Amino acid sequence: MTLETEVQSLRQVPMFRDIDPARLKLLAFTSERVQFAAGQRFFSQGDPSDAAYVLLDGKASVLLNTPNGEIQVAQLAGNSLLGEMGILSDSPRSATITAAEPTTALRIDKRVFLELLAQFPQMSLAVMRELAQRLERTNAQLVAQSS
Amino acid sequence: MEKSLFRYIWNHSKRDQLFICFVVLLSQPFYFISLDLPRQIVNQAIQGEAFKDGNVTAPFLQLGFDWPQWLGGGSVQIFEGFQLGRVGLLIGLSCLFLFFVVVNNGFKYWVNIAKGVLGERMLRRMRFDLFAMVLRFTPEALRTIKSSETATIIKDEVEPIGGFIGDAFITPALLGLQASTALFFIMVQNVWLGLMALGVIAVQFTIIPRLRRELLRLGKERQLASRELAGRIGEVLDGIEVVHVHNAYAWERAEIGNRLFSLFSIRLKIYNRKFAVKFLNNFLSQVTPFLFYAVGGYFALRGTLDIGQLVAVISAYRELPPPLKELIDWDQQRLDVQVKYDQVTQHFAEERLGPMIDSKVDADDIRLTGKLAAEGLSLSGPHGDLVVENASFALDLPAKVALISNGGPAASLMARVLARRVSGYSGDVAIGDNNLAQLPASITGRRIAYAGVDPILFPGSIRDNLVYGLRLKPLGRTEEDRRENARRIAEAARTGNPFESIADQWIDYGRLGLKDEQELDRVLVDLLERVEMGEAIYLFGLAGWIDPERHAALAERLVEARCRLRENFQANGMADLVAPFDIDRYNDQASIAENLLFGVAISDDFRGRNLAENPLFREAIDKAGLTDVLAEMGLQIAETMTEIFQGLPPGHSLFAQFSFIGAEELPEFQAILRRRAKGAQDLRREERTRLISLPLAYIEAKHRLGLLDDGLKERIVEARSFVRETLEKAGANGVEFLDPDRICAAAPLRDNLLFGRVNYQVADARHRVAEAVAAVIREFDLLEDVERIGLDHEVGTAGRLLSPQERASVNLVRCLVKRPDILVIDGALAPFDEERAQKILQALIELLDQQSLFMVLPNDRQAAAFDVQMRFSDGRIVAEKTADPQGRTRKPEAEPARSITGEVA
Repeated sequence: MTLETEVQSLRQVPMFRDIDPARLKLLAFTSERVQFAAGQRFFSQGDPSDAAYVLLDGKASVLLNTPNGEIQVAQLAGNSLLGEMGILSDSPRSATITAAEPTTALRIDKRVFLELLAQFPQMSLAVMRELAQRLERTNAQLVAQSS
Repeated sequence: MEKSLFRYIWNHSKRDQLFICFVVLLSQPFYFISLDLPRQIVNQAIQGEAFKDGNVTAPFLQLGFDWPQWLGGGSVQIFEGFQLGRVGLLIGLSCLFLFFVVVNNGFKYWVNIAKGVLGERMLRRMRFDLFAMVLRFTPEALRTIKSSETATIIKDEVEPIGGFIGDAFITPALLGLQASTALFFIMVQNVWLGLMALGVIAVQFTIIPRLRRELLRLGKERQLASRELAGRIGEVLDGIEVVHVHNAYAWERAEIGNRLFSLFSIRLKIYNRKFAVKFLNNFLSQVTPFLFYAVGGYFALRGTLDIGQLVAVISAYRELPPPLKELIDWDQQRLDVQVKYDQVTQHFAEERLGPMIDSKVDADDIRLTGKLAAEGLSLSGPHGDLVVENASFALDLPAKVALISNGGPAASLMARVLARRVSGYSGDVAIGDNNLAQLPASITGRRIAYAGVDPILFPGSIRDNLVYGLRLKPLGRTEEDRRENARRIAEAARTGNPFESIADQWIDYGRLGLKDEQELDRVLVDLLERVEMGEAIYLFGLAGWIDPERHAALAERLVEARCRLRENFQANGMADLVAPFDIDRYNDQASIAENLLFGVAISDDFRGRNLAENPLFREAIDKAGLTDVLAEMGLQIAETMTEIFQGLPPGHSLFAQFSFIGAEELPEFQAILRRRAKGAQDLRREERTRLISLPLAYIEAKHRLGLLDDGLKERIVEARSFVRETLEKAGANGVEFLDPDRICAAAPLRDNLLFGRVNYQVADARHRVAEAVAAVIREFDLLEDVERIGLDHEVGTAGRLLSPQERASVNLVRCLVKRPDILVIDGALAPFDEERAQKILQALIELLDQQSLFMVLPNDRQAAAFDVQMRFSDGRIVAEKTADPQGRTRKPEAEPARSITGEVA
């Protein structure tokens, strides 16, 4: 797998869909590709948010701490972006992520990501668009639930 | 120092000065003979005056003299000489001339060397005296003295004084002699003309110095201005961070520019004045012959003066100006250096200096225990107000005393009084029967330690800094070359310098109850662990280097540990964490350069970009047929980099962090790419070098540009042997090659243990590898060795290579290792968070079981652990005993196994 294939994966992520290929290449180049063994933690709930990850290969479980111990709330598969909310809002991790099987991910460092956003308005706009869409979806869900 | 430069020179070098004067006088007859000989050669031998009475031979080397008339006349013959013919006489006299030339030059040679050596010795003495005074500056004076100014004074300002010292007495003596001889001759010929010449000289010697007064004032001004310039540059450099933070570049540039302008203006004034004076001087010198011609000629015409006399006077006067001119030049130089000297001595004025410190007196060593009593103590604060007024207290030492601050400076001042850091207080402080203020420095230096808020570290290793307080005197244990040593001591004696050699052993291990250096290291490491620096010193050790020749046994054990580490990785399923170095396999986690060299660069010629320019390396990759391949890879990298970093402003931090190409080089690479795109096939030599430098830093696993396939990797592995052969054949030792069975001295310890590269692509690999390394180090009992290597870590200028916490820890251990009777701590724990500060405090209380600890505390939260709590209010001091000091009776808990992990790169 090379940079080119990583760029292809990034393109599948909704947040990065409309970004220039050259910028995606920069994003990929400045990220690290890391492998997690099955069961290995990406990060734990409450940790400081230092990076976002894009799953290139494999599956990851999202776990939440509850009084009854950790429970799995979701499973993520290829080309999902995870941990991005924490680095954007500068808040601690809201959930624990572990690799459900041997997994390869692209680790996007927080500082580098924010630098890229600051440098390229197009990237910021893409992120904003994605966040707005998520908000809209949440609103729609709320409306659907309350009615 | 003496007020007058001449007194200083005379006091310290009169013997040498007189001896040189004597030799100079001794040389004069030879000099005059050598001046006289050419005349004799022409007259006697060539023109044949010696043979004019029909003599066939003439005496050569005839020695004798005539008695003056008033002693009865007659002549004495000492040696009648050899009778020689005309050619013989010519050859004889010429040879004699040659002989005297050699003798004269011999004298000159000796005198020049003697003057130079004398000057250098005096310069050494003066510099040392000044430095000795630097050590004596009072705390009050130190507030206004700038270090860089003082440094320029000692280094630069005294330099011309040193050059002058050799000439200080000899030149005026010699030139004065020559001038007065000429003057005397004129006087003998004609008193009036002599008086006239004397008059002009008197005018010269009175007017010129007056005119020069302004010159001297300007010289002073220039010296101060240039000293301030040096001081200002030092200040800017020390405070460069503030300049960066506040973007004060424009102001600083203008500041220095203005200073340079005023320096120039002063210089210009000096030039104008100086050459005006010179003009006048030359004019006055020429006025005398004018007077001789006019007045003397008038007398000659009137018949009162004989023409022969006039001609003799005029020719004698021709002899007068050169020495006179030189004498005036010398005088100018004298005034110059006198001014410099005055400026220097003003900087080191008596009122700025404390009393002489005689640290060497080995007074009876006394322990500072017993009753500490203060009577009528008054201390004034920074604004001159009394913060402690007529206070008294008494307590028994050893004790742990908390000086609880009331928010004012009183507690801190009291701590400084106890540490003897302030001398300006009234009242008495005594320990046992000894007045604290009167204890000699040799005792307080050994028995009292003080750790203030600002840890001062000197450049050098951590160890050097830690043992700084232990270097009391040389023990004379080191065998030195005896002759060289005798020479060193003799020179020191002649120049008032110290006799001690720094090569000697200065630490008295016996006094510390230790056997040798190794035991001291163990103590140091132990103390560092107690003050929360154990992990840092371990990490420094891992990043440090070992010399396998010196520590052969350690090197052997490290190789064993290296094998065990490999086995452990295999056994624990961690094999993918580290890519080991293997001579037959390409290492994906290492750069292409590392893969080609299969070794560690020792010299800069084989590091970084220089490698691409290195002719030997280039020859090797040429042989391996890789040059074009690498250049092609360079093109691909350049293309990718220009594509993805496009649009980032130059100087953006991402450039520096990630790009192969610096922002400033980008246009050049773009130019190469454009030329290629236009179909240019050939690359220029420097372009090729530029391109080759790019892939050398390329790490497949990290950069993931997909530039390497298996075939290429194999070719790179094959090229290793070419590289090694080429380098070895050329005898280049810029690279130390890797060997799985040997320690590589050029690589840090952790690289030696790993003998591979941590996998970039495995999550959390670094941390897990670090744990595995730590486990092996524990297993092989190497921890102490690693930490000892950590002691070699350089602290940098003012300790800037250490974190504030590490600096504070080093500062504390430097105090603790002395085992002082009294340790005074004022803010030294400030860089630590509360939890660690509490731990360190606990450790200090345990370590200083039989000794006293005085510690300034901001409030009484931690005061419960101390025996005595000293409070300050309204200028009074109250010392009360703590009823039951906390945390003292409880047994130290079994120490939890210290975690040593950290990052391993």
